[in-house]
Amino acid sequence: MTFEELLDLRQFSLSQTEKRAALVPMLNDLTRHHRAHCPPYAKLLTVIYPDYREAATLSEVPFLPVGLFKTHRLSSVSAADEFKTLTSSGTSGQQVSQIVLDRETARRQTVALTRIMTHILGPDRLPMMLIESGSLIKDRRRFNARAAGVLGMANFGRQHFYALDDDMKLDEAGLRAFLERFGSQPFLIFGFTFMVWQYLFQQIAGRNFDLSNGILVHSGGWKKLQDMAVSNAEFRMQLAQCGLRKIYNFYGMVEQVGSVYLEGEDGYLYPPNFADVIIRNPMTFTEQPVGVPGVIQVLSVLPLSYPGHSILTEDMGVVHGIDDSTCGRSGKYFSVTGRVPKAELRGCSDVHASQVVA
Amino acid sequence: MTVEQIVPAAGKVDLPTALASVVQCESLEPFSDEIIDFCASFSRSIFKDREALQYPELQALAFWMRRAELIRLREAFAALERTDALLTPRGVAFHIPPANVDTIFIYSWLLSVLTGNRNIIRLSLRVSPQTEILCRLFNQTLGAAPDSLKNSTLMVRYGHEPEITQAISAVADVRVIWGGDASVNAIRSVPLPPHARELTFPDRFSFAVIRAGAYLGLEDRRSLAEQFFNDTFWFDQMGCSSPRLVFWCGTEEDAAQAGAGFLEAVRQHAVKKNYQVQIATRLNRFTFACVAAMEGNASSYQDLTELTVLGLERLEQLGREHCGGGLLFQYRVGDLLEIVPFVNRRDQTMTYFGFDKHELTSFARKLKGRGVDRIVPTGQALNFSRFWDGNDLLLEFMRYVYIA
Repeated sequence: MTFEELLDLRQFSLSQTEKRAALVPMLNDLTRHHRAHCPPYAKLLTVIYPDYREAATLSEVPFLPVGLFKTHRLSSVSAADEFKTLTSSGTSGQQVSQIVLDRETARRQTVALTRIMTHILGPDRLPMMLIESGSLIKDRRRFNARAAGVLGMANFGRQHFYALDDDMKLDEAGLRAFLERFGSQPFLIFGFTFMVWQYLFQQIAGRNFDLSNGILVHSGGWKKLQDMAVSNAEFRMQLAQCGLRKIYNFYGMVEQVGSVYLEGEDGYLYPPNFADVIIRNPMTFTEQPVGVPGVIQVLSVLPLSYPGHSILTEDMGVVHGIDDSTCGRSGKYFSVTGRVPKAELRGCSDVHASQVVA
Repeated sequence: MTVEQIVPAAGKVDLPTALASVVQCESLEPFSDEIIDFCASFSRSIFKDREALQYPELQALAFWMRRAELIRLREAFAALERTDALLTPRGVAFHIPPANVDTIFIYSWLLSVLTGNRNIIRLSLRVSPQTEILCRLFNQTLGAAPDSLKNSTLMVRYGHEPEITQAISAVADVRVIWGGDASVNAIRSVPLPPHARELTFPDRFSFAVIRAGAYLGLEDRRSLAEQFFNDTFWFDQMGCSSPRLVFWCGTEEDAAQAGAGFLEAVRQHAVKKNYQVQIATRLNRFTFACVAAMEGNASSYQDLTELTVLGLERLEQLGREHCGGGLLFQYRVGDLLEIVPFVNRRDQTMTYFGFDKHELTSFARKLKGRGVDRIVPTGQALNFSRFWDGNDLLLEFMRYVYIA
């Protein structure tokens, strides 16, 4: 199967066996491609995977730790073919990932994301509400992965309404006007999970805002909501009180843009046809059985311009089942349980001490 | 300027007043009975404390400070005395221990107080049970101590306030900075009185040398692995004297055989001891190995789960960077002296197995200005001693008065 053929299949339709048959040869091609075109990757394979033979299963595809993209700018294309570099949204002082894209990889990312989104949104662009302030994308100096993510999603809507002002306050009059105009037909709502909760839901809860035709797509992790003791189930239940029933969380990362893992109606995350997840034991790195949590490895056939087709993340998750979902999707379904907690450092060298007088 | 005082009594105090009390105090006579008595009863209080029992590093500290050891140190001090020069305390010592090794502040204080100095210690805001226990027992012991000791010891806890570091530095005759390059560089910019001296403990690198033939000839290989495990894993391999590189000395065949057996034995001991690293540390170790592979700092990789081993083909590959948490570089030499050109100022401790004193001494003689400050048997990497980082700490806290 070619990449284009794979994309044209209905999303979430491949059984795990079919997915393996389709993805393994493509991932092997990618391993060979990057080995030939990215010298540091070739060196890494030689040392870390000295016995590497072509993978027969998904779990045999060599994986790189996601941290490498923070310390190294890994490229499999010539400088002339570099189209742009994506960076992750790190807070100041944090190292950010650098992901090199050529035009073809960027195109694959866009097409892939479109295939996933149209699966839930339909072929037409819908009126769209963004739980963001309009200035986020206007201010080019602050342009970061968050703004890029918002812009990427904005492509799937029209008549964009940015629901927050610069102080993250909900523009209620604007919201009423939007709902009056578009609320009687399907419309799209997009935002980061905690912002949807805090700046939209908590402002309108119990008041008569009818979001029942809305399709909510949200992402960005559960850390902040976990701190407020809000689980995904609670999130879905509470939002249903505003009429919102079509709710899709997604999991994705700058290191594999385009490969997003979208929530099904059952609340679990589903890999698209061209990607997969493997949960690994955090100590031995062997594959965990269904139901046992571990570190998430993500596989994607999109990355041609950088060796990111198989990445061991710093997220923890668990696969809940394979090919037995209750919402009609095939393959694995999983959930993300959080980030790997930061290590408490010991030892003689005192990393904080430089701040004693600074 | 107020600051949180921990010793002699807990509470907010005015810093200039607290400093004045230490400055106005008289220094004590080195190794006087009152000092020895105080340290010995502090040691006893640690041994007797139920909470302290669960921390092996506190037990090691108490053992190091027991009366018999203090008497031995007094004898060592007596041996340093001369007829034409008198050893006398420097005055006020300002100790800045690292935030994350909980017993160093006491070792640093101990050698300073034994030699008669008055002491000011900065404790970081990172509170650990070990530090809390030590401060509690210290204050308890101080309750029964003479005023000369009570008034000449000050421990304060503060974060990153430069004005506090400045105020304390201004009254110091010796400043002791633990905690690695970053701390040393940061604190060095704070002025000291012109006559004052500074003792610094920067980032270090340590390694082990094992004679492959001697290892293969061992009957009880397990206990060597156990000793090595203690050297390496106690502080998640982040202690400056924990080995991060193993040199196998011998033929290729012996080294390969010894290496495989030894590493497996170390791994088994780690499993037996239920040694577990945090997931972040484990992932960091994998990332570190991948970076080393990409940058040519490693030629081979072995993942033993509890332990990651990176083989070197040439010694020039070694970058001395290290992630801690169970990663060892490995290299074979035919002869101990082959290591000499590799050694640099950053190297601190060399633990050894299978070499006699004569070989080690001629090795050390060849090092000259290069590096390596300690050469100790496997199992003793973390044992504190008055000889540290090339200094005799007893002497560093004193000065000579020449009498002609």
